[in-house]
Amino acid sequence: MENMNTTQHTSQKYNHELEEARSKLMTMGGLVETQVTNAIKALLERDSALGEKVAYSDHEINAMEISLDEHCAEIIARRQPAASDLRLLITIIKVITDLERIGDEAEKVGRYAVEMTESSTYGDLHNSLRHLGEHVKAMLSDTLDALARLDVVQAMQVVKNDQQVDDEFDSITRQLYTRMLEDPRNIKDSLNVTWCARSLERVGDHCKNICEYVIYLVKGKDVRHTNLESIRETILGE
Amino acid sequence: MSTTTEKIKATLGKRYAREKRFRFYGITAIALSILFLVILLTDIIGKGYPAFTSTYIKLDVHLDAQTLGVTADSTPEQLRTANYNTVVQNSLNTLIPDVEDRKEKKALKGLVSGDAQYELQRQVMADPALIGTNQSVWVLADDDIDTYYKGNIDRTLPEADRRVKDFQLVWLDKLEADGRIDSQFNTILFTRGDSREPEEAGILSALIGSFYTLLVTLALSFPIGVAAAIYLEEFAPKNNFWVDLIEVNINNLAAVPSIVFGLLGLAVFIQLFGMPRSAPLVGGLVLTLMTLPTIIIATRAALRAVPPSIREGALGVGASKSQTVFQNVLPLAMPGILTGTIIGMAQALGETAPLLMIGMVAFIMDVPSSVTSPSTVLPVQIFLWSDSPERAFIERTSAAIMVLLAFLVSMNLLAVILRKRFERRW
Amino acid sequence: MTEATIDMTTKAVPKFSTAASGGREEFAHTIDGTVGKPYLDGKDTRFFCRGVNVFYGDTKQAIFDVNMDIGKNEVISMIGPSGCGKSTFLRCLNRMNDTIPGCRVTGDIKLDGEDIHGKEQDPVLLRARVGMVFQKPNPFPKSIYDNVAYGPRLHGLAANRAELDEIVESSLTKAGLFKEVKDRLQSPGTGLSGGQQQRLCIARTIAVSPEVILMDEPTSALDPIATAIIEELIDELRASFTICIVTHSMQQAARISQRTAYFHLGYLVELNDTKTVFTNPQHQLTENYITGRFG
Repeated sequence: MENMNTTQHTSQKYNHELEEARSKLMTMGGLVETQVTNAIKALLERDSALGEKVAYSDHEINAMEISLDEHCAEIIARRQPAASDLRLLITIIKVITDLERIGDEAEKVGRYAVEMTESSTYGDLHNSLRHLGEHVKAMLSDTLDALARLDVVQAMQVVKNDQQVDDEFDSITRQLYTRMLEDPRNIKDSLNVTWCARSLERVGDHCKNICEYVIYLVKGKDVRHTNLESIRETILGE
Repeated sequence: MSTTTEKIKATLGKRYAREKRFRFYGITAIALSILFLVILLTDIIGKGYPAFTSTYIKLDVHLDAQTLGVTADSTPEQLRTANYNTVVQNSLNTLIPDVEDRKEKKALKGLVSGDAQYELQRQVMADPALIGTNQSVWVLADDDIDTYYKGNIDRTLPEADRRVKDFQLVWLDKLEADGRIDSQFNTILFTRGDSREPEEAGILSALIGSFYTLLVTLALSFPIGVAAAIYLEEFAPKNNFWVDLIEVNINNLAAVPSIVFGLLGLAVFIQLFGMPRSAPLVGGLVLTLMTLPTIIIATRAALRAVPPSIREGALGVGASKSQTVFQNVLPLAMPGILTGTIIGMAQALGETAPLLMIGMVAFIMDVPSSVTSPSTVLPVQIFLWSDSPERAFIERTSAAIMVLLAFLVSMNLLAVILRKRFERRW
Repeated sequence: MTEATIDMTTKAVPKFSTAASGGREEFAHTIDGTVGKPYLDGKDTRFFCRGVNVFYGDTKQAIFDVNMDIGKNEVISMIGPSGCGKSTFLRCLNRMNDTIPGCRVTGDIKLDGEDIHGKEQDPVLLRARVGMVFQKPNPFPKSIYDNVAYGPRLHGLAANRAELDEIVESSLTKAGLFKEVKDRLQSPGTGLSGGQQQRLCIARTIAVSPEVILMDEPTSALDPIATAIIEELIDELRASFTICIVTHSMQQAARISQRTAYFHLGYLVELNDTKTVFTNPQHQLTENYITGRFG
């Protein structure tokens, strides 16, 4: 199990089935990443066509979630997987839920992007949003990387980074309070921006969840709802 | 159709032909064996069945006290030694008067068996009041006469080649015309011992001899054989040189010619231990030696056939080794053991050679009363009779073979019944 | 995906080469040889096994230095590929190996603190205390009643017929068979179905009130429904007995046992809570076997 490969089972068909589940998962991850990237791009560049495209592409992700769920259920029913195989399937089932939610958030951002193309400039908010967007994109990319390579160290890094995303979201929220107090005409725009920032922050949370599943998959320990310190202990050994 | 199917199809005909051929060989082999069996049985039964009847001649005897030299009050000893011979002679003279020639006179007496006077003796001794009366008595005909009436002497042959002469034929025709010749069931065959005279010879003493011999054999070989087999199979250390040596020797003993056991019996039991010759005891001991390997091998095979799960089950609830063997294994092995034993006993019943060596080939008239009295056994009796020249002994030989076969078949039948009865599924 | 790796630093590295079964020197730290939780630290220990080795003849060693504790009222399952020594080890526990010529067992095995190889320990008594159920249902060719009464009669456990009747009834009830056979106690035990026969064998075993029941693949000859009934029964029996079960079905081990021992080439590789063994085994060999990567 030096590399978490699925090629060593006595049953070749089992290998193929697990491999297929994993590659589907990564495909879905790629799809979600594109959606998020496009949504942020549409938001920042006021590209309503792109935003619309994002909003209408979400069903692909939903379909993939259903197909992967079915695939995993079938493997469980047929093979009664155990140990790492079992953890892999559980992880996949959990990860796709989070991926699907990330897709939903991207869809929301896409919709707001369409809505906000008519509005005035965000001013200094633009920078903050870009910053948050870049951060979330990087986080999602790292998450998918950690998932693909089953890299627990990177996964831990992502969990750690989620705090920064939360901080940035708080900072944007504070900026928006000020803006709304300054000029009530800004309220509608500001609320839209809040929702977008909120969605991006949620993407970060989902990434954190996924990374926790990666740690569970590799280490066999559930690190959800614990602190960073115990995660570090788990990863570096008891 | 794929090429594989075609290829297989091409070989099918050949394969079925081979199968058919094999079946044909098998059926031929079985048919041949059945044929030989039928020939053998037909021959034996054809020769033997006349032995189950005997020819009797009715004599009118005058049990004259003077001729006999006794009265009704005489002691049994006097009655026994009375002159019945003359009474029979007189009776025959009355039936066929005017025989003057000395040779013919002797032949006239020879119409009836030597047993005729003893028949009278038996009747008189049973009832002394018969003395002085006239009686009609059926007496045994001589074996030549018997043979003649069974159609084994051809009247058309020249007189010199026949054992029944022309003048005897004239007498016989007269007697037959008077209704004085009759054929009756041969009870003598089953109620008497051996005799020089074929018409008086029976197999009872040989049967009883066989019975005693087998009794001794069974009493010794069954417990010893089964005990030895149980020890060797269940308790003896495995892969031990001495145990292996004993096993090899037991297997070899089963193949030793039986006459060797006879020699051993002669040397050890008779000469060394001074046991009586010709006794069923010694015969039984010798046959025990011969039967033991068979029983041991059969018993071991039967024990081995008991599934190990039965042993494990018993050991698993805490039975000791011997409890396991005696309570669980042995009952399951019993059908096999009994079959082996009965087959061994059947072998022993048919055995002749070793018994010749220890003197059981003697001429025994009396029925043996115990395992130490001199006796012979059925196969030896057959051997003795087959050696006798008289025509009547040939049919008795076959009759005795039939009796022996009947015993063997019934023993094998018993083996089958016992196996079915004790057989249990697991 | 091909570069995907897992950090192996915390996984136990095999202490012995799987290729060389004779590599006893590499296995010097015997206590550390088994990963997981082989010991109960004296809490409710029924069997205490230390340094158990089994030899067949002079050359072949079937079990290498097995150390483990078996607790009271637990179901412990032993799994592993064929020929890994799990059955051999099981048969050490009631000295069933004594019946195999040339088989030699060394090491300490204590049942409730008594050495089972001790001078005063009688194998017959031991087997009454440590009953055994076998792979193939093996009722004696006797009646159902006599099958169950066999052990009690053997050991004189019943003073009279009434007591014996009671033992038979309660054993059959515990084995979940009484309702099915109460009207035909005198009919042969071999006439029952496979699953019923196996329950009869369990009834026969518990009739002598053992402390431990060893089961050597008890359901491998049964259909799934009979298997499920036996598994249910095993769970009920756990209240009164310690149960050690050897099984080829990993799912069965997962379903019924509290702890699972994985044997490999005569070594006890891992002994852990069943939950751990089946979700996150600590040893690479266990992982391979559990997930079907063996061989």
